[in-house]
Amino acid sequence: MRTIEIRLPSEISVLEPLQLFVESIGKYAGVEEDELSSLSVAVIELVKNGMEHGNGNDPEKIITISIDTFQSRIRFFIDDEGIWEPDMAPGFDPGEGEELLSSRGRGVLIARNLARWVEFGLTPEGKTRVTLIWPLT
Amino acid sequence: MKIKEEMKGDVLVVSLSGKVIGGPELMDVKTVFQNAVNQDISKVLLDLGKVTWMDSSGLGVIVSGHTTLSRADGSLRILNATKKIHELFIITKLITIFETYNDEQEALNSFGE
Repeated sequence: MRTIEIRLPSEISVLEPLQLFVESIGKYAGVEEDELSSLSVAVIELVKNGMEHGNGNDPEKIITISIDTFQSRIRFFIDDEGIWEPDMAPGFDPGEGEELLSSRGRGVLIARNLARWVEFGLTPEGKTRVTLIWPLT
Repeated sequence: MKIKEEMKGDVLVVSLSGKVIGGPELMDVKTVFQNAVNQDISKVLLDLGKVTWMDSSGLGVIVSGHTTLSRADGSLRILNATKKIHELFIITKLITIFETYNDEQEALNSFGE
């Protein structure tokens, strides 16, 4: 097993190359073709959350993504430089009625539903780490 | 992402293509909806059939368009949502807000009902 680590500035412009990169990793690991975009959506939603809530969209602040591929799953650590808590990221529940009409705050909800295994924790330095595990069939 | 606009009768058909991944270009989509309202166009059909990738930022713009048009007594309806986009509508329960169609003529006719 070999860990791939990438470090990205908190800039929207990195998202499209990241999407392609995540899908290529997924393809290499054996994610089904039809699921590649779901994988990249889930990862990018969490990266965006880190950029916004952890790094305050400061391009000087870094998102670090560590990827490990195992026989039956891929694990992504998505680390930012902040100390935000999941409650700061709305969207765990889409709500009802008017709440549904917020123009933002759906990222974590989508990532959780697509990946099904998303956990919030801490890096060894005490910053926010989101772990996403994608099963391989 | 590319945006194409076309009037079909009194309905503005807005077609998006490519990746809807966030950033300043999403403001262009919001502007399309606002311009429609400014020109007294209240019926907008958003064709997502050529969108190859979309995340929550795309949904946010669609919801914003819905709000803009609703406030002007108008309506935003969805055409040709791909399987993946439809899945996002279900996850976020936006499927309960939007009328979605797979046939353009049926969608256009729905505005007159």
